[in-house]
Amino acid sequence: MRIALNILQALILILGAPLVRGIIARCKAFLQRRQGASIWRPYSDLAKLFHKEDLVPPTASSVFRLVPFGLFGTTICVAAFVPLVQPSALLASRGDFILFVYLLAMGRFFLSLGALDGGSAFGGMGASREALISSLAEAPFLLSFVAVAILASHADFAGMVAWTLQQNIFNVSAVHMLAFTSLAMVVIAETGRMPVDNPTTHLELTMIHEGMVLEYSGPRLALIEWSSAVKLHAMLALLVALFFPWGMVSNVSAGAVILALLLYCAKVVLLIVLLAVIESGMAKLRMYLVPDFLGVASAVSALAVIFTMLDKR
Amino acid sequence: MGLVEVATGKILSSFSVFLFLTILLMVVSRRISTSIVLFSVQSAIIAAEAFATAFRERLAAAYVVAALIVVIKVVAIPRAFFGLVSHLKTSTDVKASTTPTQSVFIAAAMIYLSYAAVQSYEQSVHVPEDALAAPVALILTGAFLMVSRNKALMQMLGLLVLENGIFLAALTTTFGMPLVIEIGVFFDVLIGLLLMGVFAFRIRDTFDHLDVSKLRRLRG
Amino acid sequence: MILITPMLIALLGAFVLLGFRNPQVATRAALFIGGLEIASLMVVVWQVHEHGALRVGRYLRVDGLSSFFLINIAFISGLVLVYASGYLRHPGEGRFSSPRWFYALVFVFLFTMISVCLSANLGLLWIMMEGTTLASALLVGFYNTEGAVEAGWKYLMVCTVGIAFALFGTIVLYLAAVKAGMNPAAALDWASLMDAVPRLNFDPHLVKLAFVFVIVGYGTKIGFVPMHSWLPDAHAEAPTPVSALLSAVLLNCAMYAVMRYDAIVSHAVGTGFPHTLLLIFGVMSMVVAGLLILVQRNLKRLMAYSSIEHMGIIAIGLGLGGPLGLFGALLHIFNHSVGKSLLFFSAGNIRENFGTLRMDRVSGMARTLPQTSLALVVGSLAIVGLPPFSLFVSEFAILSEAFSQERYTVAVVFLLVLSVVFGGFSYYLLRMICGENPKNAPANGKLLPSEYSVMGIAGVCLLFFGVRIPHIFTVILQEAMAVLR
Repeated sequence: MRIALNILQALILILGAPLVRGIIARCKAFLQRRQGASIWRPYSDLAKLFHKEDLVPPTASSVFRLVPFGLFGTTICVAAFVPLVQPSALLASRGDFILFVYLLAMGRFFLSLGALDGGSAFGGMGASREALISSLAEAPFLLSFVAVAILASHADFAGMVAWTLQQNIFNVSAVHMLAFTSLAMVVIAETGRMPVDNPTTHLELTMIHEGMVLEYSGPRLALIEWSSAVKLHAMLALLVALFFPWGMVSNVSAGAVILALLLYCAKVVLLIVLLAVIESGMAKLRMYLVPDFLGVASAVSALAVIFTMLDKR
Repeated sequence: MGLVEVATGKILSSFSVFLFLTILLMVVSRRISTSIVLFSVQSAIIAAEAFATAFRERLAAAYVVAALIVVIKVVAIPRAFFGLVSHLKTSTDVKASTTPTQSVFIAAAMIYLSYAAVQSYEQSVHVPEDALAAPVALILTGAFLMVSRNKALMQMLGLLVLENGIFLAALTTTFGMPLVIEIGVFFDVLIGLLLMGVFAFRIRDTFDHLDVSKLRRLRG
Repeated sequence: MILITPMLIALLGAFVLLGFRNPQVATRAALFIGGLEIASLMVVVWQVHEHGALRVGRYLRVDGLSSFFLINIAFISGLVLVYASGYLRHPGEGRFSSPRWFYALVFVFLFTMISVCLSANLGLLWIMMEGTTLASALLVGFYNTEGAVEAGWKYLMVCTVGIAFALFGTIVLYLAAVKAGMNPAAALDWASLMDAVPRLNFDPHLVKLAFVFVIVGYGTKIGFVPMHSWLPDAHAEAPTPVSALLSAVLLNCAMYAVMRYDAIVSHAVGTGFPHTLLLIFGVMSMVVAGLLILVQRNLKRLMAYSSIEHMGIIAIGLGLGGPLGLFGALLHIFNHSVGKSLLFFSAGNIRENFGTLRMDRVSGMARTLPQTSLALVVGSLAIVGLPPFSLFVSEFAILSEAFSQERYTVAVVFLLVLSVVFGGFSYYLLRMICGENPKNAPANGKLLPSEYSVMGIAGVCLLFFGVRIPHIFTVILQEAMAVLR
């Protein structure tokens, strides 16, 4: 039963990812007083892309052709890590947070290779910017998990979520608050949202993630877009699971599962609205200010780790 | 009522965490208006703590003081500050002398220092460690803001954060001083701010800028 | 009722003065109100001398120590008001810069300082101490020039932060008192604290912590190094009567506050800790101020640093303790205020006549301003501590105490700094008084009656007290000392 639930969680993460993208876009449109596209639009976009012709630049090697599959593969593995409705997932007890972080890094590595192999100047530029941002984001990413892991005495997500479930919801822990703040900043940087990167830009000089996928088309582009959507969904789900997991089922029953699912949807929607507000409210940071942004995230996560020594809460 | 008691308990046990968050956000903010809003939030948290203390200890005087905080520090002073910013027609930049990253690391170091400083007093005062460390951290942050921000308005704000910290220290350790003294302290702070506002206008009129790091005529 | 009268006169007088738009009428009204004020203060002092400590309500109290400081306030404010009546011939620009505002602010300032000396409650003491900063900030920035505005801002900022630390110290002392078992309503009352400290068990850590914050906080107002950065600017840029008030009265009131706390803390944890702190601050202030005197260019800044040095001397006197040390410190408070006022008055005259306070642009004063040069010479000789002037007596007392306690380092440093200051003062003085007349020498150096009468009184007082202290004064001093035991 647990295994079935775990598979269901992974499927929800993967199949629900475009919906998350659609809801964010709709919220932003609402905040900008536009009508906005339907929330199911990304699905039709993906379907359209899967039917289109797959153009490959003549100078590209087989790396270019294989990258989307590698990226999709690592992202599916990442999606198998995150608990949604119960404090365990397909891989949640098999690997710890370090594996999670570096699976994501591997996916990013593939994407950068593909961008460089595509031969366009913007691919190279996007890849180098992405490398800068992710190398700076690695420290706060790891440290936030380290802080929570120290408190929970577990390095795997299943253990961490189980520990958090046992805590009192109102005894707000300084460690958790600081780790949440820094992890939220890292999520913004890693998934290429405002204020670090503009996902809707059409100016190539301002692109980071979009610049890397400029040369892809057709099904390969569909896979890449889907992977980035799954990455966003997985990280949002991780934020919910690590810091607000209350409502997850402990004894598996149909009613409990449905309730947990509804609660999870509500929390993710809240996070999405928050993300949309932040995206609409802040202008994109210039490139030389992004290290400041991530430096603040590093300092906050370092403080979270220091607090584990002081508070023991 | 059960709910009020639960809320009181939770406020008393967790307010310091939120104060630390406002401290961290305040040292990285780049605009004066953000800092003013954060100060208002900080004062609201302290007012909530004052109300919770008043409820827990059944002190009528503390209710009055908490109400005063809400009226003066959460509403009136930020409003006056916003008015001052618009009347002075100055740029909204904070003119920090440290980058946001450095500021956050310094703030983190100060929070750690404040915990270290109150370790020895925890036993003698019977107050949880967080509730003692938060006022000290506020005082250190206020001093840091006054030193590292080169705008006259930000120095005033740093002073206000310092006073917030001192007031919070009084609140958590002794549940507030006698009412007359507290009202006198408020009065002094208000008049002090009024005078500083007058001087800010004078600085702007005499020097045409509000950058206090350039006020270096008198030396030696 | 008697206690409230001086405060009421000052406060109401300030408001009344705002109504007089004509400068001459305002000046005369100010002199009249000042006279009333001094009279009421003398009544209070007499009352205390006859009947002992007096208490009104919960917050006002006067005893021997307060009455000594009230005498100081009364005397100096009288001199200053008379001097200011002639000095304010050229008002500055700006909203608050007319004579009626000047006198109104001076009376509010006096109100706050008198209230500091009359408060029974440490919280009220703090409120009024902060009030002195607020009342004098506009006076410091009175001339609205670039230097004045900068000095006023620095003064306001540094002193408010310092006083905030003093508030923290007050809170910690309150905490210690409440934890030791005192009734919260009485835990800030000085007399009750002095009464309770020997009986109850005050946590020594908390009391020491409180004293550290109090001495740093009120020490900012006194001008202890390293919190002194506001003092030279404020005293130099303020109008001369205000500089005299700041140097001669405000610093003393801040020292009064520290003395009150020192009494409580000494009774709680013994005299070792507080007196060591006072000695450290005193010696640091003396040394740093003494050295910085040598590199000054502005006359009033020179005098401001001299004030810091003398506050250091008073702190050393208090820190040494003992009957002679305390006596010397208290006497020095009075003598220094008279001497410093004389110096500032002569500086005011120099500014009026030469148009500048830069010492390198002033020379040949002996010929052009004979009376002012005499005042300047008398004041400088007195300030550096030469006999037969009164400061010699008080410094000698403090020095004797140092020797009798076998604190030879302190005594040696004391004497060294005094010699250095003597050297600096004589260098600048000789350059200003002797020498050729500068090109913009004043035509006539006539002093107004208001000016020379006041300077004459101050000079005579310095000389007189140096030769023989009146018996009544000694009695008052002894009553003040008894309070602190």
